[in-house]
Amino acid sequence: MNRRLFLGQSAALLGTTAGINKLALASSSNKAQVVVVGAGYGGATAAKYVRMLSNNSISVTLIEPNDNFISCPLSNLVVGGEEKIGALTTSYDGLTDKYGINMVKDMVSKIDTQKKTVTTAGGSTIAYDKLVLSPGINMYMDSIEGLAQANADGVTLQAWKAGPETVALHKQIADMPDGGVVALSIPLAPYRCPPGPYERTCQIANYLKNNKPKSKLVVFDSNANIVSKGGLFSKAWADLYEGYIDYRPDNKVVAVDGKTRTLKFEFSDDFKADVLNVIPTMGAGNIVVDTGLANMNNRWAEVDFLNFESTQAKDVHIVGDSIQVAPRMPKSGHMANQQAKVAAAAIVSELNDFPINPQPVVTNTCYSFVNDRDVVHVASVHQYDPTEKTFLPVKGAGGLSAEPNRIEGIYAWGWAKNIWNDTVG
Amino acid sequence: MKTLKSLSLIGASALLSVGASTSVLADELMAERIYNQSLAATCASCHGTNGVSVAGQDMPKISQLTHEQIATALRQYKSDEKSGTIMHQLAKGYTDEQIEIIAQVLGKD
Repeated sequence: MNRRLFLGQSAALLGTTAGINKLALASSSNKAQVVVVGAGYGGATAAKYVRMLSNNSISVTLIEPNDNFISCPLSNLVVGGEEKIGALTTSYDGLTDKYGINMVKDMVSKIDTQKKTVTTAGGSTIAYDKLVLSPGINMYMDSIEGLAQANADGVTLQAWKAGPETVALHKQIADMPDGGVVALSIPLAPYRCPPGPYERTCQIANYLKNNKPKSKLVVFDSNANIVSKGGLFSKAWADLYEGYIDYRPDNKVVAVDGKTRTLKFEFSDDFKADVLNVIPTMGAGNIVVDTGLANMNNRWAEVDFLNFESTQAKDVHIVGDSIQVAPRMPKSGHMANQQAKVAAAAIVSELNDFPINPQPVVTNTCYSFVNDRDVVHVASVHQYDPTEKTFLPVKGAGGLSAEPNRIEGIYAWGWAKNIWNDTVG
Repeated sequence: MKTLKSLSLIGASALLSVGASTSVLADELMAERIYNQSLAATCASCHGTNGVSVAGQDMPKISQLTHEQIATALRQYKSDEKSGTIMHQLAKGYTDEQIEIIAQVLGKD
């Protein structure tokens, strides 16, 4: 080991990574204040790890409008009826009780990056030394004609943010007569959770096979191919769900008629179904865009991968699905949790004028259920490359399951319970 | 902490921008602790915060292992001496130095 080299490198980085002078903070007789916006996989983890890594010496306020944490990973099991949403729901109490985080149930409506304050919809203004934004994604409902109205009417659901729509989509499928047709529309990548739509395909087909065997699922994919775990999903569909899934790549939905439950396409004929699940294109969460931080095509936020600081605003760190990702880095809950720890370590170091880690590493692990118990995974490891100034996947590391298997079905639940605890427990 | 005893910090101390010289060593230890803990935290997403798994599920419980057991297992996964569902793929992404630090942070001894 050569830690001297490590510290030498990192100390040299101090010149380019400006910290807040801890003596100045101390003279104001206040603890440093970190404000975190959004308590999902990214934000909640960042809040918890700032407290942990600072030995509770930094105050953390976490602003979140929802009462509980609801996991998107595993929520396809709810769509398919194998699980209840309650099994994916965790209270935020651990963050306040065990970690001393100040939870504020509110939405942030405005950020002043000059004055370093956030203003909430409820009217509070909170000052920060460091701000972490992890608002997840914004669904572009207006990108498909008629979708916003059809969604507001409860006819055409996205169910991509886990919650009431997840439960409602299952009910729509369960209420459908046998012999009905479910249509699933997948947006062009990049979107949240690359394998998610294909796991959902499995879960809906699994439900139809077991409960409504005369029914079928038609999948309209805007992409030319299955975006993630393609070979594994194709094989699972053929082995488990022959006759239930009609997969149509290169089919981009451009309009929805909620009244007649009809999808319209760029090139193909209109398609009428009993249940429409349209997942629209998505981009960074609204607060990131509204603050002017979505500086990549006004869609994603560019960050410095050493500390996840916005390239647009000093002392504003952005993690999770809102960022412009590094090469082959997925937008996943696991990745948000990993990014948040890099950001938290950098924030604690910078607030203390310590050197930050010059070569962080993040991993991704993603399990997909092909039925009620068999699972396939994709995994990767991403090391920071000082030359490229980005995370690069380590060649030879990571990979896929050989085939769907039950042991990983058990590990997938172990993963879920541990990451929920690591995030909000 | 064993992790900190073996540190070689002298070279870096002059570069650290802290005010009081008496706090230099403490600050270096803090900086190193943050680095080590955040590196080991990459494992926590699957194996639990500080390697402590939630009770009642079957993910391998690494906090019950010694640092030598963890380091050996990770090196064996990395070299394919040991097979697994996913760890042989993830271990290959870490340097030998990172594996050593992770094992020292998470090991029960």
